[in-house]
Amino acid sequence: MKRYILALFIVIFSSQVWAAEGQFEHLVLSKAPVDHFDIESIKRGAKFFATTCMSCHTLKYLRYDKLAQEQGVIYDKMPLNVTKWPNDITPPDLSLEASVRGVDWIYTYLHSFYNDPSRPSGINNLLVPNTGMSNILGPYYGEQELVNDPGANGVYSHTIEWYGYLNLVHEGSMTPQDYDQLTIDITNFLAYASEPYYIDQHHIGWWVLGFLLIFTTMMYFLKKEYWKDVKKKD
Amino acid sequence: MTEHVADNKKARGVVGWVCNRYPVMEFLRAHMTEYYAPKNFNFWYFFGGFSLLVFAGQIISGIWLVMEYTPTADGSFGSVQHIMREVRYGWLIRFMHTTGASAFFAVVYLHMYRGLIYGSYKKPRELVWLVGMMIYALLLLEAFTGYVLPWGQMSYWGAAVITSFASAIPYIGNAILVWLRGGYGITGVTLHRFFSLHVIAIPLLLCILIFVHLVALHYVGSNNPDGIDIKEKKNKDGIPLDGIPFHPYYTVKDLFGIGVFLMVFTTVMFFAPTFHGIFLEADNFIAANPMVTPPEISPVWYMTPFYAILRAIPNKLLGLTMMAAAIALMFVLPWLDRSRVRSIRYKGMISKVAVLVFLISFIGLAYLGSQPVSPMHTFLARLLTLGYFAFFLLMPFYSKMEQTKRLPERVTE
Repeated sequence: MKRYILALFIVIFSSQVWAAEGQFEHLVLSKAPVDHFDIESIKRGAKFFATTCMSCHTLKYLRYDKLAQEQGVIYDKMPLNVTKWPNDITPPDLSLEASVRGVDWIYTYLHSFYNDPSRPSGINNLLVPNTGMSNILGPYYGEQELVNDPGANGVYSHTIEWYGYLNLVHEGSMTPQDYDQLTIDITNFLAYASEPYYIDQHHIGWWVLGFLLIFTTMMYFLKKEYWKDVKKKD
Repeated sequence: MTEHVADNKKARGVVGWVCNRYPVMEFLRAHMTEYYAPKNFNFWYFFGGFSLLVFAGQIISGIWLVMEYTPTADGSFGSVQHIMREVRYGWLIRFMHTTGASAFFAVVYLHMYRGLIYGSYKKPRELVWLVGMMIYALLLLEAFTGYVLPWGQMSYWGAAVITSFASAIPYIGNAILVWLRGGYGITGVTLHRFFSLHVIAIPLLLCILIFVHLVALHYVGSNNPDGIDIKEKKNKDGIPLDGIPFHPYYTVKDLFGIGVFLMVFTTVMFFAPTFHGIFLEADNFIAANPMVTPPEISPVWYMTPFYAILRAIPNKLLGLTMMAAAIALMFVLPWLDRSRVRSIRYKGMISKVAVLVFLISFIGLAYLGSQPVSPMHTFLARLLTLGYFAFFLLMPFYSKMEQTKRLPERVTE
């Protein structure tokens, strides 16, 4: 019996986490214009994340982060105090979301909400059918509706980005351009949250490569000098 | 030689004191300044040295990782993130270790391929090859136990799949499985014992075996791309005509090679440490969850050839036997090759085609082992498995019957 309960649990749980494929077979992820070095964008993303996303999502591995201290944000405090979530679906921790799903996935996900009256939240998502996320971004982007059959409208191709499926029927407090910038900022911030060492890593990397280039060049001439004898012997 | 020794014993100060009590100079002469290596080493002879370098790097980065890592089911995943984020340069230490793991296999595979094409396993170097193969087998275990430690989804499910191989053994399989895991499933107990093996038992054995590998090599002398014996032509001082002292000639050459290697290594380490999910799989950034099976469980690239062989065989026990046989056949290579010559340069066309078949099979299987199962993939994997085994099992025949070329008197440039 226990085994059946476990199996059932796996089926239900995994379908919620992984059932991204299938419904929109032509959907492809949009390329996120991420810039790991755009500190201002990361900060804007952090601010929005702290004021909005963190009502539900944690970033538990970003505890003693410099950027957070600068912005007066304590990541590991807010949503952790919630003990009971609606429908027992705990919103995922997003510390490593960019490493797990990739930045393009996050960027596309943030754009892919549409009205769906059959859902308790009133919205659904192209990438995660029956997403458990509430309509917290609606006030910003407005309302999007699903274009029923992209093929019938003559825009059919083998790959369709999110905007091929969705129509903006009502603008929210942000223009589509501003909302796009917001999603870029959030994506940039989550990329940062996943790899806070990224800027250091790339900075040091160039110095190390520069050093190795000089070292290798010197060793090349040293080798050539020593091996003159070997060539002469013949 | 005795004169030099006498000189050092007369030396004053610390050097003299030590030299009168320990054969420092004798050692350096025997293995560096008076170890005569063939002068015609080519590109392929860099990879043994690189392997040693990467091994040292793994030990050093490993020591620092262990300082902050927690080998428990609750603490492991978080402690790795702690290293990556809060330990000073922790990300650098960890990427050195993860990149090092893949680099180790890259250089060891190239090192083994060198031995394969130039016949470095043939008499009198059978033991060098055997010890090398033991190192390789231990390296696979070291990599597997290490991959479990971050306790991500791939760590957990990889450990579950690989330990479950034991259950295919008739009668005692399940008992062995429980004994390996330290319980009925993969738990913190499994993690803890893998940690112990990964940081103490296997590295210690590797140290010893690498030492033995080098002692065995220096006793019989290095092979070369021509596969001829340089000790047969000596000058009046007993020094091989085609030999040059390892130090300084090959030390400076290796330093240059190390420079090039480190540029490649650090480029990956600083700019692409996950190598698009090949060196660090995306699913391993999710903490281990016994309730959720990842959609695809595949081992890291250096184990995929054997994984592909396993999946190609419909019967689990037979598949495991074939997988073990694929590795075991590499061990007995010195006794499969009956050719009169060592190097591929002087072997016949059949041997050259056979090496090509082996290469295509090994690389093809490595690719297929990383891909999801499909009928086409299974068919290809079976074909390539056949190619892999044919290379080894037919070797006693084709290597003996084929016409070989005349060996040169002296090494060629």
